[in-house]
Amino acid sequence: MPKVVSIHSYRGGTGKSNFTANLATVAALQGNRVGIVDTDVPSPGIHNLFSLDPENTNKTLNNFLWGESPIEEAAYDVSANIGLTNGQIFLVPSSVKADDIARILKDGYNVGSLHDGFRKLVKALKLDYLFIDTHPGLSKETFLSIAISHVLILILRPDKQDYQGTAVTVDIAKQLKVRKMLLAINKVLASMNPDALRQKVEEAYDLPVAGIFPLSEDVVRLASEGIFCLRNPDHPVTDEFRKVAHHIMS
Amino acid sequence: MADQHDLQSLTSSIQAVASPFRSYLNDLHQKYQSLNEGAVATYIPELALANPNWFGISVVSVDGQVFEVGDCSKLFTMESISKPFVYGMALEDRGQEYVWTKVGVEPTGEALNSIVLDEKTNRPYNPMVNPGAIATTDLIKGQGGTERLKRILDRFRGYTGREHDINVPVLLSEKAAGIRNRANAYLMLSLGMVNDRIEETLDLYFQQIAILVNARDLAVMAATLANGGVNPITKEQAIDERYVRDVITVMLTCGMYDSGGEWIYRVGIPATSGVGGGLIAVVPGKIGIGVFSPPLDEKGHSVRGIKVCEDLSRDFGLHLFNCAQPKYDLNAWIEGDDSIEGW
Repeated sequence: MPKVVSIHSYRGGTGKSNFTANLATVAALQGNRVGIVDTDVPSPGIHNLFSLDPENTNKTLNNFLWGESPIEEAAYDVSANIGLTNGQIFLVPSSVKADDIARILKDGYNVGSLHDGFRKLVKALKLDYLFIDTHPGLSKETFLSIAISHVLILILRPDKQDYQGTAVTVDIAKQLKVRKMLLAINKVLASMNPDALRQKVEEAYDLPVAGIFPLSEDVVRLASEGIFCLRNPDHPVTDEFRKVAHHIMS
Repeated sequence: MADQHDLQSLTSSIQAVASPFRSYLNDLHQKYQSLNEGAVATYIPELALANPNWFGISVVSVDGQVFEVGDCSKLFTMESISKPFVYGMALEDRGQEYVWTKVGVEPTGEALNSIVLDEKTNRPYNPMVNPGAIATTDLIKGQGGTERLKRILDRFRGYTGREHDINVPVLLSEKAAGIRNRANAYLMLSLGMVNDRIEETLDLYFQQIAILVNARDLAVMAATLANGGVNPITKEQAIDERYVRDVITVMLTCGMYDSGGEWIYRVGIPATSGVGGGLIAVVPGKIGIGVFSPPLDEKGHSVRGIKVCEDLSRDFGLHLFNCAQPKYDLNAWIEGDDSIEGW
């Protein structure tokens, strides 16, 4: 049965897109067909990590939401772009054109059709996993992606604002009866004790922490121009992504 | 607390959108959108303007979850769908015994506009055929036409939870084309079966069938009956629970007119339809169904509406007399149970 995984954070800048891209890649490398939908229509970005040039993406998620084209026509096979050796990754980008962003913000869209699109994509491309990269904060789209997910991953940084926002999101996710919720802590300073941090966060939210990621210069250097896990298969950060993937697949 | 209520209503609407049951309805909508059978009603010009592609399906559960696919906000005139609801009002106004002396509950097997009364009692056969609907409209209490109309509109507000308007061009056209209805009314007047404020009652009859609703309204109305007369969203008691059974019964026995036998055999859900393209169906204790699609079959029922009800009845075992294990479990599909292969 295909699995839908949403990656969300209450605030921006938590590294959501990077996290999604790496996790999807680790999942694909195990021989899976993986889809990624960038539902961050106000501020799309994940296409950069897969070297997908907006000039060559004539159809996007926006066109589907406006009823102009089937969602599978907005799905691009990006496996070759990143040199994927096993599995396949299809990316549905959101439009980066200012006009398109303005139109979707002004007119909105039917959140039901987004759900229909996810289902259609999973069927048409015979996906094993669908990853949904979301816009930070809470919105109808966020609520929907939480409600339909088999696994929800909440990314937070070890600071007070993220702790509070994550608590709100966890409450709502529980009301939406999410099936499985995991936490991932990103941008952890080298001076912090990861085990103590894990214990503290797990106790605070009563949820498992699936991975702890350091504020790493290696990652920062490669951010936004390629998939870290592919370039650094033996790096501890890559191992941490494998652990999170294992949580999802189990 | 207001915040809590807002969050609940938002999460509930999102859960409905995310529910596998809505996905099922979406597939059903796609399946029948391309069905191009039937023709829109043309006996009055206003109905002939309907776009044959309009198609909305709404289902409301007795716990108030709303599922909508397609054109569910598009307004259309209720036409005959008003009849069982006005019958329910007549029961409340006059009581079952008195209403019984004025209108029967026997299916006629004849078209809804036939001019026929029971020879022994002079009663119209049932509240769903036009003479029966005129006779039940006659029973609605109130000082004058305006107050009686206001009472009817208030009642529909109770059922749907929102204010309703009347489509005046449809009302005037129906009135101009309603020669047989007038004949029925005067026949009953000559037999002393209706009050002599007959023109007022006829106006009220033409007004009630021109009330504007949408597919979602129909589903909420049906869910209100399915929920013992309590609107599952507003929690308002729209009809005395003693009479809910009577209303649903006449829908089951007479609601589909001269195709009633086949309907009960194939679908087995109390229902009625209007020539505006609306179809309403009540699954007691479970859900209300509202479908809007203007192309009609030769009996005057929405073609897509019938198909939708057939599929729902078969797949979820909603036939009243169904004893077999249904293909799908309705509650599990609505609640998004993990056992559902929604993807």
